[in-house]
Amino acid sequence: MTERASAGFPAQISDEEELLPQLVAHLREHRTRLRQEWATRIQGAHLLQAMTPQEMAAETTSVYDNYVEVLETGSVEALQRYARNLSERIIPRGVETQEVVGIVLLLRDVLARSLFEKYQRDFPLLNRVLDAYEPAANRIANTVAVSFVDERERVIRQQQDSIRELSTPVLPVRERLLILPIIGVLDAERARQLTEQLLSGIRTHRAKVVVVDITGVPDVDEAVANHLVQTVDASRLMGASVIITGLSPEIAQTLVTIGVDLSKMDTIGDLQGGLEEAERHLGYAVTRTEGPGGP
Amino acid sequence: MTAGPRLFSILRQGPYLIASIHTALDDSQLVRFQEDLIDQIGRYRARGVVIDVAALDVLDSFASRMLRDIGEMARLRGAATVVVGIQPDVAFTMVRLGMDTGSVATALDLEEGLSSLERLMNASPGRRT
Amino acid sequence: MPAAEPAGGTQQGSGSPDVAALIPLVRRIVTARVPDQATADDLVQETLARVLAASGRLESGTLEPYAIVTARNVVTSLWRDQDRQRRHQHRVVDLRPPEAPDEDVLVQEDRAAIAQALSRLSDREREILLAHEVAGRDTRSLAAELGSTAGAVAAQLNRSRARLRVEYLLAAERIEPPTEQCRPVLLAISGGDRRRQRDVDAARHLLECEACGRLSEPLMGRGRTRDDEVRVPVRKDADVVAARHVARELATRLDFSPTDLTLIATAVSELARNIVRFADVGEIVVELLEAPRRGIKVVARDAGPGIDDLDRALLDGYSTYRGLGLGLPGARRLMDEFGIASESGRGTTVTMIKWRDEP
Ligand SMILES: [Zn+2]
Repeated sequence: MTERASAGFPAQISDEEELLPQLVAHLREHRTRLRQEWATRIQGAHLLQAMTPQEMAAETTSVYDNYVEVLETGSVEALQRYARNLSERIIPRGVETQEVVGIVLLLRDVLARSLFEKYQRDFPLLNRVLDAYEPAANRIANTVAVSFVDERERVIRQQQDSIRELSTPVLPVRERLLILPIIGVLDAERARQLTEQLLSGIRTHRAKVVVVDITGVPDVDEAVANHLVQTVDASRLMGASVIITGLSPEIAQTLVTIGVDLSKMDTIGDLQGGLEEAERHLGYAVTRTEGPGGP
Repeated sequence: MTAGPRLFSILRQGPYLIASIHTALDDSQLVRFQEDLIDQIGRYRARGVVIDVAALDVLDSFASRMLRDIGEMARLRGAATVVVGIQPDVAFTMVRLGMDTGSVATALDLEEGLSSLERLMNASPGRRT
Repeated sequence: MPAAEPAGGTQQGSGSPDVAALIPLVRRIVTARVPDQATADDLVQETLARVLAASGRLESGTLEPYAIVTARNVVTSLWRDQDRQRRHQHRVVDLRPPEAPDEDVLVQEDRAAIAQALSRLSDREREILLAHEVAGRDTRSLAAELGSTAGAVAAQLNRSRARLRVEYLLAAERIEPPTEQCRPVLLAISGGDRRRQRDVDAARHLLECEACGRLSEPLMGRGRTRDDEVRVPVRKDADVVAARHVARELATRLDFSPTDLTLIATAVSELARNIVRFADVGEIVVELLEAPRRGIKVVARDAGPGIDDLDRALLDGYSTYRGLGLGLPGARRLMDEFGIASESGRGTTVTMIKWRDEP
C-alpha cells in the first residue's frame, strides 16, 4: 500500500508538471479556432441568448484566457475574480446558473476533444494528458459555478433589502399609533403594497390609530383614490381609526368625484395636527378604559 | 354524527358573551351560529357580545351580512356587538366586495373588543342604573 | 348500520331485495382493490347503503350488477380522493394490490369489457387498431397498405382509441347511455377535442347527465394529466366552502399575495353560493394559466334557470335571496376579468380571471 502510493504519487505530480505546460501551449496555439468552436457550441445549445454577438465574443475570449491561465498557474484567484465580475454583469439580464455552468462544461469538452485529436495516436500519453487535464478542468467549472451562485445570492439579497426598505413606510410612533407617510407617485401596484403593509402593520403593532400623511403625493387617479378609501375602511374593520393629513385640493377633488363623502373621513390639514388628534383619540381611550377596567 | 370538533363556542363572561368561530363555516352552519347566539343573548340577558372571527379566512357577502344581522338583532335585545379578529386581507376583501361595514363595531382582538364594550357601557347609560 | 335489512325477502319476490346476500360479492370486489381492512369495511357499507337506497327503482335481477358497478364506483371515487391528496395515498390505499385473491376475477371482468368494447368498433377500425397496437405495425406501413398517408392513419388511430376508451368504460361500468347525446359527448371528451366538445355542448351535458358526469372523469384524466385544473361539483352549502378552499390552494402555487388569495377565495365563494341558491347543481372549475401570462381562471357553470336580466343582476343590491345582492357584482370587483353568459332555462356560466403578472 505504502509502496503503491509512494510510487504513484510522484508520477502524477510529474505528469501534471510535465504535461500541463504542453497542454497550455497547445491551447494557446489554437486559441482562435478553439474559442470560435466553443462559441459555436454555445450558440447551438442556445445558451447566453441575452448577450449580443459582440459581448459574446469578448466574454468567451476572456473566459478562455482565464481558463488557460488556471491550467498554467494552478491558481483560481484570477478566474474567481473574473467570474464574479462576469456574474455581476449578466445576472441582472436574467442569465441562469445552469447557463453559466453549461458554457464552462462546453469549453471543457471542446478542449478535451482537441486534446483527444492531438494525442489520439498515442493512447497511453492521451490517458495521462486527460488525467492531468480533467481534475484541473473540473476545478475550474466548480469555481465558476460557485462564484456565480454566490454572486447571484448576493444580488438577490441586495434586491430584497432595497425592496424592503422602500416598502416599509409604516412607522410606529408610540404605542398603538402608526404613521404612514406616503411620498411620491402612487400607482396601483404601490397602492396595493401600501395597503398590505398598513393592514398587517395594524395587527403587528396593535395600532388603534393610523395617521396617513399624503402631503408628498402630487395627485392620484380615481382607481388609486378608491383604493385609498378602501384602505381606510379596511383599517376600521380591524379596529383602527384612520386620520388622513396633507390632503391636497386636487386629491380632495378626486375623492369627491368618485363619490366619497369627505365629511365621513377624518381629515386634518397637516401631520402635526393629525398627530395631536391621534393622541386625543388614544388619550380618550386610555383614561376611559383605565377607570372602570379594574376589578 | 354531531361528534367531531366544535365549529364555534359561546361563553359567558360577566354580562358579556364571547362567541368564537373556530373554523370555516358554510351557510347553514353560519345560520345555526346566529340562532344559537341570539338565543343565548336573550337567555342570559347579555349586555354585550364579542364575536371572534380570527379563524375565518373568508368573510363573503353572506357571512358579512350575517354578522351585521346579529349586531342588529342583539341591539334590539339590548346588547352591543363588537366583531374582533378580522384578518388584514379579509378586511380589505370585505371592503372591495362592497360591504357596507359602517354599522358593525369592530376591534382588533378579544381584549380590545371587551374594553371597547366597557367603554360603550360607560358612555351610554345602562339599562339597570 | 345500513347493511341491515336481512328481511325474509325471496330472491325473485317483489318485496324488499335481499341486500345482505350481496355482502360477499361486494366485499370481494372491494377487498380486491383496497387492501386496508378498515377502509374496505367503510366502502362495503357505503356501497350497500347506496344499493339499498336505489333498490326501489331497480328491476329484480339487476340488483347484483348494480351492486358491482356501485362498488367499483365507490372504490374509484376513493382513489380519486386519494389522488387529490397524493401525499397520503400510500398510507391508505395501494393502487396495485400485490396479490389479491380475486385478481383473476378482475382480469376476467376487464377482459370481457375490452372484448365488448372492441366489438363496438367497425371492422376496419378494429383491424387497424389491432394491427398497430398488438401486431406492432407502424403507421407508415399501414398507410401504404391502405393507400392512405401516415398522418391520416395516425389520426384514425387516435379516434379509434378514443372510441375504445369510451366503449370500454361503458362496458366495464355496465352502463347503457341514457341519451342520444351521451356517446358523442363522451367521444369528444375522450379524444380531447375541445372544438368538438363545444360543438356537442359537452360541458352542459356533463352537468345534466349523471352517467356521463361520472364517466368523464377517467376520460379526462387520460392523455393529459392536469394537476393545474380542479373541478368541484357544487350542490350543497358545504361545497361552497370546498370550492373556495380548492381555489385558494391552487392559487397559492402561483405565489399570489395573501390579499389576492383571499380576494380569489371570496369571489369563488360568491359564485358557488349563487349555484347552490339558484341552480341546485353546477360546478366550479379552477385552472391555473401559465402562458402568455400567469393567472388563475375560475369558471362557474350551472344548468339552472338562467338569469333574465344580466345588467340588473350585475347591479349592487339586486338579489332574490338573503344576501346583500353582492354575489355577482361583488365577485366582479374582486377579480381582474369577469364574463358572464346566461340563457333563460339553460343555465349560467361565469368566467373570472385574476392575473398574477402585470400585462
Ligand atoms: Zn350522458
